[in-house]
Amino acid sequence: MIEAHALTKKFGSKTAVAGIDFRVEPGQVTGFLGPNGAGKSTTMRMIAGLDRPTSGAVTVNGRRYRDHRAPLREVGILLDAKAVHTGRSAYKHLLAMAATHGIGTKRVHDVIELAGLEAVAHKRVGGFSLGMGQRLGIAAALLGDPATVILDEPVNGLDPEGVRWVRTLVRGLAAEGRSVLLSSHLMSEMAQTADHLIVLGRGRVIADASVDEVIARASGTSVRVRTPDIAGLNRAIAGPDVALSTLDDGAVVVTGLAAEQIGDIAWHARIPVHELVALSSSLEDAYMTLTADEVEYRSAVVPTPEEATR
Amino acid sequence: MTTAITTPHAPSAAGATVRPTARLTFANILHSEWIKLTSLRSTVWSLALIVVLGIGLSLMITVLNSTIDVMAESSPSIVLTTTTIGIAFGQLIAAVLGVLVISGEYSTGMIRSTLAAVPSRLAVLAAKAVVLFVLVTTAGLLTMFGSWAATYPVLENQGNAVGLGDEGFAVALVGAALYLGLTAVFALGLGTLLRSAAGGIAAALGVVLILNTVVPVIGFAVEWVSDISPYLFSNAGVAMAQLPSADGNSLETVGLLEPGWGALVVVAWTLVSLILGAIRLQKQDA
Repeated sequence: MIEAHALTKKFGSKTAVAGIDFRVEPGQVTGFLGPNGAGKSTTMRMIAGLDRPTSGAVTVNGRRYRDHRAPLREVGILLDAKAVHTGRSAYKHLLAMAATHGIGTKRVHDVIELAGLEAVAHKRVGGFSLGMGQRLGIAAALLGDPATVILDEPVNGLDPEGVRWVRTLVRGLAAEGRSVLLSSHLMSEMAQTADHLIVLGRGRVIADASVDEVIARASGTSVRVRTPDIAGLNRAIAGPDVALSTLDDGAVVVTGLAAEQIGDIAWHARIPVHELVALSSSLEDAYMTLTADEVEYRSAVVPTPEEATR
Repeated sequence: MTTAITTPHAPSAAGATVRPTARLTFANILHSEWIKLTSLRSTVWSLALIVVLGIGLSLMITVLNSTIDVMAESSPSIVLTTTTIGIAFGQLIAAVLGVLVISGEYSTGMIRSTLAAVPSRLAVLAAKAVVLFVLVTTAGLLTMFGSWAATYPVLENQGNAVGLGDEGFAVALVGAALYLGLTAVFALGLGTLLRSAAGGIAAALGVVLILNTVVPVIGFAVEWVSDISPYLFSNAGVAMAQLPSADGNSLETVGLLEPGWGALVVVAWTLVSLILGAIRLQKQDA
C-alpha cells in the first residue's frame, strides 16, 4: 500500500509534482502513466526516499520509506536498470544488497533463478544487455520478498519472452496480495497487465480509475453507424458537440452522442439504421486523448509535438 | 491461485528464504560495504599496488644505497625514511581509491540502489569509511612491516639494521599505515562532496600533492603562510611516520609536527572532509 498526500516536488522554479494524492492498493497492479516529464519517476524516487518532497508526504505500508527498519522487505524497487555498479558481478551486487538486511545467500540464489540469470550471475554487469540489466533489477527488487513492488519501465529492452515473463510475474505478485506500481510507455502491455491506472500530466493526476473506466471515459462516445440516408441522419443528429465522418466502406462514425441516443433519434426521424456499434478504443487512444487534453488545457498556444511530450 | 512460475522448477516470488527477522543493522551495512569494496577489481588492484610498489621501492632504494655506500652515516631516522618510502605513491593510490569508492556509485547509478536499500545515508557513509579505512590501513601495515622485513637483511649486512624494538620505530611504521588509511577516508569525503571522479580526484590530489609544494612558494613572499606548512595534510602525514624529536634530532627544524600532533591534524582534515560530504549526502537528493 502506497499513499501520497499533497505530494509536491519543485526543482527551483519548476514544479515536477504538483500536490498529488493517490493510493496504490494491495492485491492489484496499478499502472503509472504519463508523458515524459509528467512526474512519474520523480514520484517513484520520492516513494523510495531518494528525493525529498518539497511538501506533502508519501508513505509505504503506513510509514515514510526511511522510517522502516527493513525497507527491502517493505518495498522492492526497480528505478532504472542502470542502478548497478558496472564493475561488479550480478551475484556480488545482489549479495551486497541482501547483506544490508542480513538476507542470506539462499535468497540471492533464488532470485537469480527466478530472473533466469544463472548463466550470467558471475559476469560483470558492465557487459550486460539492457534486458539482462532489467532482469537483474527485478531480481534485486524481489530480494526482500517485499509487500509492495515498484517497477519503473520493467519491460524496457526485454525480448518478447521477457515481456511475457514480467507480465506473468507482476500478475502473480498482485495475486499474492502485494501492491504493485508499474510504469510503462507500452500501452498494449499496460492494458494487459494493469487493473487500475494513475495517469499523470504536468505533475498532476489527470486520471485515477480502473483501466476500463479510463478507456470508457476517454473514448465512450464514438459510434459506428450504417444507414442508406446519411444526409438525413446528419440533419437529425446535428448539434454543437456532434461530428460525423464517412468511412471508406460507406459507414459513418459519429462522435458526441451515445449509441442509444443515435438509435432513438433515427427511430423518431424514421431513418433506417442497418448497423449501430459503440466503438471502444484502445488504451493507447484513450491515453492520447487524455494527455492531449491536458496539454491543450494548460497551454495558451498549441505546443509543438516535442513540447507536448516533455 | 496463480503464482509467478516461468519454468517448472522456478521458485515463486514469495520468499520462504527471507527470514522475518531480516532488517537493517550497522553490522549488516558494514558487511554489505565490505562485499561491495572487495568485489571490485579496482579496489583489489589499488591495494595490491600500494603494497607491491611500497615494498619494491623501499627495497630498491636500500639496495642501491648499499652498493654506492652513502649509508656510511646511517641512523634509525634515515632507515625509517627508506622503509616508509611507500607513503609517497601509497597516498596517491589511496586518495584515488577513496574517491572512486563513492564516485563510482554516482557514475553508474549504483548509489540509488544503495540508498534504496539503506535510507539512513549517514550509516552508508560511515560504513564505507570504516571498511575503506580498515582495508587501506591493513595494506599500509603490510607495506610498512613488509618493507622493514625485506630491507632488514641488506641493512644488517651493513650493520645499520633497526629492530622493531627500537624506540618509536614500530610506532612510526604504524603511523605511516594509519596515514594511508586516513588519506583514503579523506578522499572518500571529498568524493562524496563532489560526486564525481574527476572533481574528487583533482581535489584530493590537490590537497595531498600540490598544496605542500605551493604553500612554501607563497611563504617566500608572505611570511605567515609558511607557518601553516606543518599543518598541511601531507606534511602532517609525513610527521606521523617520524621518530619523535630527541636530542640533536628536532622535527621542528625540518618543518614537521611531532608524530602525535601530525596524527591529530590528519584526523582533523579527514573529519572536516567527511562532514562536508555527509552534509551534501544528507541534504541533497541522490
